[in-house]
Amino acid sequence: MGERPENRVDRIVNALLRGRRLKLRGGDAEEKEAVIMAARLAAARQGPQRMSPAFRHRLVKQLEVAIPPESWMTRRAALVAGLGVVAGAVGGGLLARSLDGGGNQTPTTAGQVVQPTNGRWVDVGALVDFAPGQARMVKAGAVGAFVTRNGDSVSAVSSICSDLPCELWWNSAQHTLVCPCHNRTFTAQGASIGTYRLPSLDVVQVRVRGDRVEVLGV
Amino acid sequence: MVTSEPRPPDPAPEDGAQGQVVELPAASRVADVAIDELEMIYAFIYSRVGNRADAEDLTQQVAMKAIPRLRQGAPPSAVRGYLFATARSVLGGFWSTRLGLSESELHDDLAMAPPPGPPQGGYSEESVERVRLILEQLSDNYRRVLELRFLHGYSLKEVAAEMRSTVGAVKVMQLRALRAAAKVRLDG
Repeated sequence: MGERPENRVDRIVNALLRGRRLKLRGGDAEEKEAVIMAARLAAARQGPQRMSPAFRHRLVKQLEVAIPPESWMTRRAALVAGLGVVAGAVGGGLLARSLDGGGNQTPTTAGQVVQPTNGRWVDVGALVDFAPGQARMVKAGAVGAFVTRNGDSVSAVSSICSDLPCELWWNSAQHTLVCPCHNRTFTAQGASIGTYRLPSLDVVQVRVRGDRVEVLGV
Repeated sequence: MVTSEPRPPDPAPEDGAQGQVVELPAASRVADVAIDELEMIYAFIYSRVGNRADAEDLTQQVAMKAIPRLRQGAPPSAVRGYLFATARSVLGGFWSTRLGLSESELHDDLAMAPPPGPPQGGYSEESVERVRLILEQLSDNYRRVLELRFLHGYSLKEVAAEMRSTVGAVKVMQLRALRAAAKVRLDG
């Protein structure tokens, strides 16, 4: 009671610098921004971190219990195989293997088609309001999409990046969809651009009815 | 409450009827990808909580929540997205219960800073870089006190000696510097 703010924060800083768990008291919330920043700075001091082999092993054991047993043998083999390799390996190589499908993955040219359960066609505007060649973001209930007009037809892709759960934005100068989370870009048709190919954006169903544009949403 | 549950990703269609889809070569692919991706999740969480014990607890929570719900056939990118969404939810809950922070207050802290799509680099390397950029925005004294204290691991007494000040003054400066750093907003 009555602990001065600077003492309160220094207590937390000291614990963090000693690598201790964050143990916060009731009044600590008064300095919440400072506490969160202290945690980030303490993490920066340690540099990039990887799981300890012991923790990774423990995690694998816990997953053994959590994952349904019917497919366990193959999963377990995968997990244990990863255990020894990852502990001493450069993580990037493994991620590369994971993300490119170990060399067996087919390059994608079109994403999956979004099939909303109990979907319904949602009017998202007049066709004339969609400038040709420019993707425009629309919402059809919970489905977000970028709709592009090509003459009298339209196409649409999901507004969410295929790699991270981040909402894209349309760069009208470059004619690209950009993920703000890692600056990956896609064409208006959803194809990944750049040397590192991401899966294509999911395709959202869209149609022209009369002079209106409709998107299959929920 | 911050801990809204993300929806597990759908598996890729088996026949690829609508264009080409991501094909997963084996039934164990999801777990295989997930355990490796959990390294990134751990690095992300560690970069936010700053200590191993909490980072392990929270990573375990993410794994236990997310992995059993991943369906066979989920594309690797969807696995990563779902794990990160779960991690944000778990981390939000962590700060929410300890500091009473709301989701909007946590927005910047939970914001998805650029993790690597390509294999080079670690997720938290970017996070370390962001900290450096934040420090650059501070006044000389604030930056110095935080650098000495956090990056060089000086005690208050050592910082005071270095800055020709008193322990009490350094303690107050440390608090003010942390508050100022928390207010820095990095574009992009």
